[in-house]
Amino acid sequence: MQSVILILVLIAAALVVASGVWVATALLRAIARPKTDPEEDAVNQRQPSPDDTSTDTSAATDAPP
Amino acid sequence: MNPVLSATVVFAYLAALVFVALRARMARDFDEFSVARRTLPLALIFGSIAATYVGPGFSISFVGRGFHSGFLFLFVGSAYAVQNILVGLLVAPRLRELKGCFTLGDAFGQKYGRKAQIIAGLISLGICTGFSAVMIKAGGVVLTDTFGLPTWLAVSLVAAITASYTTFGGLRASVITDAFHFVLFAILLPVTLLCAIFFHFRGGPAAFSAEAIAATLDGLRSTPPIEIVGLTAAFLLGETLIPPYANLALASRTSRVSKCGFITAGIFSILWFAVMTATGIMARCIVPSDTPEDHVLLELVRSLMPIGGYSLLLVALISIVLSSLDSLLNAGAVVFTEDIIKPLTALSDRTALLVGRRATIVIATVAAVCVPAVPSIIGGLLICYTVWASAILPAAIIGLWLKNPRPLAGVLSMGVGTLVAIIAIAIVSTPDFETKTRVTIIPALGAALAAYLIGHRFGKTRAGA
Repeated sequence: MQSVILILVLIAAALVVASGVWVATALLRAIARPKTDPEEDAVNQRQPSPDDTSTDTSAATDAPP
Repeated sequence: MNPVLSATVVFAYLAALVFVALRARMARDFDEFSVARRTLPLALIFGSIAATYVGPGFSISFVGRGFHSGFLFLFVGSAYAVQNILVGLLVAPRLRELKGCFTLGDAFGQKYGRKAQIIAGLISLGICTGFSAVMIKAGGVVLTDTFGLPTWLAVSLVAAITASYTTFGGLRASVITDAFHFVLFAILLPVTLLCAIFFHFRGGPAAFSAEAIAATLDGLRSTPPIEIVGLTAAFLLGETLIPPYANLALASRTSRVSKCGFITAGIFSILWFAVMTATGIMARCIVPSDTPEDHVLLELVRSLMPIGGYSLLLVALISIVLSSLDSLLNAGAVVFTEDIIKPLTALSDRTALLVGRRATIVIATVAAVCVPAVPSIIGGLLICYTVWASAILPAAIIGLWLKNPRPLAGVLSMGVGTLVAIIAIAIVSTPDFETKTRVTIIPALGAALAAYLIGHRFGKTRAGA
């Protein structure tokens, strides 16, 4: 029982760090996108369908500056 | 502490922040400024929600609470996780599915009419400005304590830095920089705990369990049940759907992303509270027992990592403040443009973008000017929670679920909720202000609900039925 509390705390800390790494990955993708023409951006803007269940980051990260 | 090292770390952090903000690019139209063209993916929505709610209250104060009351606040704080999960399951997808919505006020407009949209906009603008004042105060305190800057300069720096990138980048810049801030504090603060556990804590799991149980029992003995009920209500309702969260729900790529963003942020809050309260419990064996609550984290890090660690913690604390502040400034500007100006006069997209940008600067300035009026960080947050929950939530949540809500019900609920909340806060403005403010949310919310029911009973639908 005594170890359980500490183990749960360690698991929580590890999961918080893992969340940080997950968001860091998405952040790097979002800021590392290639630069293209703004006019092209308007043409290429992808509108996802309402039933799109994907969680991929392409729509945000593909959008050029 | 070495001021040169601290300043170097802070300047390196600011340089990285500027780089990230520039990469987020300038908003080119109001759609991009307000909802980032509704293209944000799950990881960024999650990071932004979590970065916004993890402010000074959920970090510095929670470590102090863990120090004095053990895991009591982990259990009270779990109401916050429940709130996020319920919003994700029941509210956010419905909000995202509404067509042409940029703000929660737009949803009010669609459900209750233009008058309700303007009232909701005014309340939202006031709340965003109030929350911003609290965040600027917190950031000012960190800079003043660390560099000995005059308060006015520290407050101006925090407001100016945040307003600069939010003004030009809009929601996308806010979300991208939130993600940057989230990464910093989600890694640095758990590392502080792990460092304490593995290198400085003597006694092993048995000693930690004993401290946790003793502190939790202390907390249960010293906290009256009515205060626990009031705090749980504040955690459950106080930040529900405040403008930055509503904007993120609307900016998600799909309704499913909106739903999952809130659910994962709710689960994360439990993990975060566990880490913060455990850090406080760990500090009981390391820092003096008479350390003031808000200084426990600073003292702990000062004991564990005297120079480099303290500078890094400083960066984490600044991140925590700025990530909440930028979301509030952007949400306030969007609310002002969409819910207050647009219903009164037609705006071209270019003019709306300009109004939004100028509103960001004005809100930041007004919030900075209001800083001296903020009683304390927790006190300021509690006032905002009480007004928001009473004024907006009954009408917002019921309105999203009813097919034909009555405009009178929405307007009456917002008016009565705001009035009762302000009166209740004015009545308890005594030396015991913070303790009493924790329970004012209950009568104010009850009055708003009663007003809604009366308005629904006697009002007509928008079709006149």
